[in-house]
Parts: sequence; structure tokens; C-alpha cells
Amino acid sequence: MGSKMSQKLDVRGEICPYPMMRTVSMLKKLSAEERTLEVLTDHAPTLDTIPTQAARLGFETAVEEVGGSEWRLTLTRIGSGDGA
Amino acid sequence: MTSDVAHVLTPPAGAGAPSRDTWRAIAAWALAAAVFVVAHGVDTQFSRFWGFGLAFGFVLQRGRFCFASAFRDLFLLGHGRTMKGVLLGLAIASVGFGVVMARQMPITSIGFNPPTANILPVGVHTILGGVLFGVGMVLAGGCASGSIYRMGEGYVASWVAFAGLMGGLLVSAYTWNWWWMGTISVAPRVWLPRPFGHVGALGLTLLALGAAFVWVLWLERRAGMVLPDSPSPKEASESVADDLRAIGRRVFVRGWPVLIAGAVLGGLNVLLFAAQEPWGFTGEVARWSAGLAGLVGTAPPPPAGADTLPGCVMVPLDGSILNHMTFMVGGMWFGAFAGALGAGEFKLRIARQPVRYAQSLGGGVLMGYGAGIATGCTIGAFFSAIPSLAINGWVFAVFLGVGAWIGTQMIRRIA
Repeated sequence: MGSKMSQKLDVRGEICPYPMMRTVSMLKKLSAEERTLEVLTDHAPTLDTIPTQAARLGFETAVEEVGGSEWRLTLTRIGSGDGA
Repeated sequence: MTSDVAHVLTPPAGAGAPSRDTWRAIAAWALAAAVFVVAHGVDTQFSRFWGFGLAFGFVLQRGRFCFASAFRDLFLLGHGRTMKGVLLGLAIASVGFGVVMARQMPITSIGFNPPTANILPVGVHTILGGVLFGVGMVLAGGCASGSIYRMGEGYVASWVAFAGLMGGLLVSAYTWNWWWMGTISVAPRVWLPRPFGHVGALGLTLLALGAAFVWVLWLERRAGMVLPDSPSPKEASESVADDLRAIGRRVFVRGWPVLIAGAVLGGLNVLLFAAQEPWGFTGEVARWSAGLAGLVGTAPPPPAGADTLPGCVMVPLDGSILNHMTFMVGGMWFGAFAGALGAGEFKLRIARQPVRYAQSLGGGVLMGYGAGIATGCTIGAFFSAIPSLAINGWVFAVFLGVGAWIGTQMIRRIA
């Protein structure tokens, strides 16, 4: 493992709006040491909704296309990580 | 890593040569063109509706223009991005429809409504239809048009939702005559230009759309921080060819801003209305359901009063298989499919939780029944009805919102 703890979530195949909802509920459950959440999705609308919701919870989002209509979103806790 | 830009888009692989996605999309559009030519030879109405269907499906897919999320996200996220696109499309269509109707019916005091505009009987069926449709579209993760474009993108659950929609429309067809006798036939059809004149009715409609816009802003403000849309990444351009490629990518590869999609859909709806009739399609889907039921000897009775109603009332069976609206529905699906191919967004998406299929089917049935009694979905009874300057569009919209709110509470409890 790297220096910071991370979690993964695979929401491929999910219907709207569960990719976003499951990401948000996972972000809320992360412990303080867990700095990043990696989300694998094939639902294009989440590229707009997840960064916005993640920012509300104090995370920033990097989007990377990893293949035909699949994206890896890396959500990283900003600073002290106390957003909400 | 500390950049505040939400999107880090990787540049398209091999920006020079057309990708495999591009070739697939070209093949799909070539097939669409061939269907257009053949259909044109049979009946020019067929090719016209095929063309409009392709355009609607393409824009829905490119803009990810989902009426279910427009309503749902107001309550779920306090986000009005999609709803703003819907409101803009409605405003544009209202002006266009207003002009077309003023030419059709210069004098509003005589007792006739523009024959093809979606001025529908408004009553308890509009209210119940709106609520059922609103709940169903949120449960299923997409309304009727949303399910069609997602079918084109490869979402298997959307095919299930469409099957549910057909089932719900069939059930509503069995009960149609009861609704017609007691409620729909005696319900008023209120066309706003009659009391207020053309200019007054359009002004009132635009004012109400403006009020809805303020309400959306208020919901967003109440929900807290609203992030601006992420800026589109700049691409290095050194020649006209590069510029053209950039435009091509903006149209065919990247998602469209929802405001642009809404505006284009509103404009297309005006063109279709000026040519023939407003956008809608659930009446045709109901015809398919009734036809299939007829194959096993359980066809619903002929719908009473259907020939006196505009909008998406069920089309009675007449033994023919093809109808111009068949090309509309098929075109919407195929346009979305071709759009998804070109953007590299087509993928078979199979939901892993069995409950998603139950949700999609149940939501589809609720949508079907709602659209059946309200004679239209988020398109015919809403996106084409408010621009018809008819009160039924507003009543349906309010209760769509109520249904979407109920649906939002339900999906929060279905993990």
C-alpha cells in the first residue's frame, strides 16, 4: 500500500442515479485516515454529478478514461477533510 | 493533484486518424440514411418522422437530456442544471408554437382549438397520470424518452423499463373507456389564447417559466454550494483541419451542455409542429402493446373518443404494421445508438442487482399507465403541451414533480 489509505468502489452497470448515490454514501463512511476513494463507472452523467457531490463532502475529483465508456474517478480528501 | 479543475480529460487516442468508434458511427449513419431513402420511396411521412426521430434521439443522447433527472435532482441533490435546460427548451418551443398557432387560428374567440396542438382534457386523470408517471420515471431511472435513448446506449435495464412501459400502456388501454366515459370526455380543454389572446397567453407562459426558473435557483441556493460547470478543456489547434476536428469532437464526442440540448430539442419540436404535429410517441408504443396483445387474442377494446383527441392518445389498430410514428420511435432509438457509438459511449451495461430490474419494470408499468390516462409522457403531455399554451401541460408538470418527489424518497430506501 502507498502512504495513504484508499478504498475502491465498482458501480459499473448501475442505473441512474445509483452510481452517484452509492459513491456519496461510501464517501460518508470513509474513516478519517482513508484519504481517497477510487470509483469505477460506465455511467457518463456521473462525470458531472459525482465531482459536485464529492466537493460538498470535501473531496476533489480527478477523472480518467480507462477504456470504452469507462471512467476511473479518484476522489481525494481536500486538506483537513472536514467539508460537508 | 491540487488543481481545482474537476475534469482531467485524457486526449483522444490517435487524434489524427479516425478511431474505430468513428467508423462504427459512420456505418450507423449510413444505415440510417439508407432507411431514410427507402422510407422516402414508400411514404414521405415515414422519412420525415425517421429524420426527426434520429435528430431527437441524437440530441437526447448527446445532451444526456433526461427528464427524470431534471425533476429528481431538484429534490435529490438540490441541482437544477437539467431542469434549466428543460425550461429553456420550453420557452423556445412556446414562442415557436405560439407563432405557428397564431397563424393557424388568428382569431381565438371562435370555439376551435388548433387541431394538432396538445390541448388536452384536464382533470383528475391528468393529476393521477402525472403522479404515476413521476414516481415511475424516478424508480426506473429514466422517463419514456430517457429509456429509449439509454436503450440506444446499451443499458439493459432500460429495455426492461420499456417493456414495463408497454405493459402499463396496455393496462391503461383496457381501462381507457372507463376513464373516457366518466372523466376525460367531460373534462375541459383549456387553451390559454382563448381568454388571454395570443400575446397574452405567450406572455403568461413565459412568465410562469420564469417563475419556475426562480424556484429552481431558490432550491439550488437552499441546498448550499453550487459548483459551476467544469470548463471544457482547451485543445491545441494549429490549422483549419484541427479546428474542424475540434468542432466535430464537440458535436459528436463530448457531451453537449444541457442548455444547448434543451434549446435544440425545443427548436426541433417547433419545426415538427410547423410541419405536422408536436413531438410525442407513447400513443404509438401503446399501439405496439395492443398489437402484441391482439396476437394472443387479448387486444384491448377500441379507444372511445381517440379520434377527437390530439396528443399521444392510443392509435387504434387498423391492421397495418408500419405507421409514421413507428419511424419516430425507431429513429429516436437509432439516433441515440449512433450518437453513443460516435462518442464511444455505447456499451452493454448489465445491472448486477436483481432489484434494479424489478425497479425498472415496475417504474415502466407506472409510467405506462400514467402516460395512457394523461395521453402523453414527459414529451407529449409536458414538453409539447406547455408550448401548446394549454393548461393541461402545467397541471401534468406540477404532478410530475409531486410524483418525482415521492419516487426520490423511494429510491433513497432501495439500496
